[in-house]
Amino acid sequence: MVQQISTTKSVSGPDIAATRIPVPGAKRRGRFRGLAEPVSLLIALVVLIIVFSLFNERFLTWANAQNVLNQSAIPLIIAVGATLVILLGSIDLSVEGVMGATGMVWILLSANSRGGADLGPWAWVIALSVALALGLANGLIFTALKVPSFIVTLGMWYVGLGLATILYGTDLLPRLTDERLTGWTSQLTLGLPNSFWVALLVIGLGSFVVKSTRIGRVTLAIGNSETIVRSSGLPAFRVKVTVFAIAAVLSGLGGILATIQLDIGSPTVGSGVLFIVIPAVVIGGTHLGGGKGGILRTVLGVFLLTILNNGLILAGVESSYQSAVTGAILVAAIVFAAWSQRDRLRVAK
Amino acid sequence: MSLKRKRGTLSRLAAVAAVAAIALVGCTSTAGGSAESSSKPIAKEDLVLVASVINTTNPYFIANIQGAEALSEKLGIPLEIVDSQGSSQTEISKIQAILAQGKKVVMFVNTVASSDTPTIVDAVQRAGGFVSIWWNKPDDYEPWNVGDNFVAFQKHPGVDSGRCNAQAIGDALGGKGNVIMFPGVQDSTTSQTRVAGFEAEMRENYPGITILESQPSNWDPQLANQNAKDLIAKYGTDINGVWSADDGMQLGAIQAFEDAGMLEKVKFASDGLYPDTVELMKQGYGNNAIVGETFHRGYMASAIGLYTAYLAATGEIVPSELSKDKRTSFFDIKCVTPENLDEYLQYDGPEAAADFVDSLVENGPWDTEPATLTGGGGPEVLPTP
Repeated sequence: MVQQISTTKSVSGPDIAATRIPVPGAKRRGRFRGLAEPVSLLIALVVLIIVFSLFNERFLTWANAQNVLNQSAIPLIIAVGATLVILLGSIDLSVEGVMGATGMVWILLSANSRGGADLGPWAWVIALSVALALGLANGLIFTALKVPSFIVTLGMWYVGLGLATILYGTDLLPRLTDERLTGWTSQLTLGLPNSFWVALLVIGLGSFVVKSTRIGRVTLAIGNSETIVRSSGLPAFRVKVTVFAIAAVLSGLGGILATIQLDIGSPTVGSGVLFIVIPAVVIGGTHLGGGKGGILRTVLGVFLLTILNNGLILAGVESSYQSAVTGAILVAAIVFAAWSQRDRLRVAK
Repeated sequence: MSLKRKRGTLSRLAAVAAVAAIALVGCTSTAGGSAESSSKPIAKEDLVLVASVINTTNPYFIANIQGAEALSEKLGIPLEIVDSQGSSQTEISKIQAILAQGKKVVMFVNTVASSDTPTIVDAVQRAGGFVSIWWNKPDDYEPWNVGDNFVAFQKHPGVDSGRCNAQAIGDALGGKGNVIMFPGVQDSTTSQTRVAGFEAEMRENYPGITILESQPSNWDPQLANQNAKDLIAKYGTDINGVWSADDGMQLGAIQAFEDAGMLEKVKFASDGLYPDTVELMKQGYGNNAIVGETFHRGYMASAIGLYTAYLAATGEIVPSELSKDKRTSFFDIKCVTPENLDEYLQYDGPEAAADFVDSLVENGPWDTEPATLTGGGGPEVLPTP
């Protein structure tokens, strides 16, 4: 069965045949391609920063930098997981639901204004286990039952949201009462907000996983061609489930941090995050088809989006124009950043 | 052979289903035959109460449900809840599904968007039910032009709410300082009227106060939190006052100012006096950071809306004979400051919704304290700049 598929693939595989056609300049472009894209994204980011600082001198201050780092922390953490999933060639839309469920479980089991048990560190363990369970469900349904990840995770979004809503019930908003925790995310350690330190740690671990572990290598390989991975006996099934589980736990962590940041528990604590995270991954240059990309590029994508929102407010752009201007700048930045890649073999779909 | 027989059964079943479907269509079209027949009084036993809310996580909408439950218990009529999940499409399809069950509905709808109102009213009218709409409707779509099945449109006036908050902040700052604003969804009438009232009051009576900037935050505490952080980075200690269009966003904004260590020096005002806000005000949180609130409760809105529709359904009132301010109605909101806060604590006890419903049934929909009829008869008039 496996063999059959791989033979058909090699006979009709258009990419293999296509790469053999010599294209002038393709080799030279190819050599720089790996480097050119992040570099031009970086240039786009720098241009944006220069332009915004011309509009408002407070933009380029340390206080605003801390503000931007704090605001980008939660999307960064979640985007690490999203990048892994997209490298597989799949997608995880359950982010906001997982955030809501995990954040709600966590705050209801921590010291809060509704009373109830204060389980301290166990609240973290239990809440993150809920995230893990949702992630495993995502991964197993996707892999074992072969349901497209788009559908599974869309469903899981609402399962998570529903779980959070049921737990939330009809009582008062649960507010954090533990004074060591309130405001912890934006407090500074060595000049950087605590939430950003967590994000740095997650980014470090994420890059390590992609570059130096079997999970990372198999993930990239699955994104390139799952058939080859399977026929060479690599553990595609296990890796796929693991990646979805990692992504959900990171979403859960983001949900807890967002709850701490807001000081109140809300089922919709993650609202809007998905629409920062997925574009950030794609802007960073990770291919939606999988197999190509990386976590550090995603970091640039998240920064680009956060700085864009922050900069437009500081530059005093009228709020009714903000979404249109955000969209226009974004398209311009991506055209610029992806300029080096517009070779003839890559068809934009 | 057996397959053949099965096919025969199947085709017979299909025929029966088709006949049933035609009969059903016939029923629905009779029910929707004429507006005249559909507005005849309905016996109490045939009624079902329906309360449609925007979502079931916001404290205001949860209170909407509590009010509907209290009235359902008081009148002894079953209740169904519609959770729109923030989507007009979900709202309309769920309401249509309930109407398709053929029950006579007495309905309260807190519409997701103004433009949903005609579709919902039309569906209810055709099914012979009675509906009160709360908060959002198109300005030119008035109950008296539609018929008795659109019993009333009801709300609390946003301009009064905004003015009330502006006075609280203006007075707390001694008439001098800079204020930032967090409206809700930008094209929501509720938010727009509150913004207009706030700005008008500042312009007319507090010339020493400057509005630095307004950042719509979609009724979302998380977004208000982020926007507040950006505005703190932009204006720093120049900010003296913060206005939010509802308490949810205010909670997000307050947290941002607390994180920045600015809470003690900034004054806040907003609409809704959520129970959580009551707690903060009682504690004197952040050097009495919250200086003004407006009081109204979600359970009052749903109970008033449902009860008005119920009276029309049972024939106790005839909507077309009512004055216009009882068809498009504004109900009182109260200005709350830390000084008179105690007067409002009675409305949040476990029995508060039931007590309000008792008083409502006794005094009628327009004369029940603290939400009495104060005006209406047409769209809310915005102050001219």
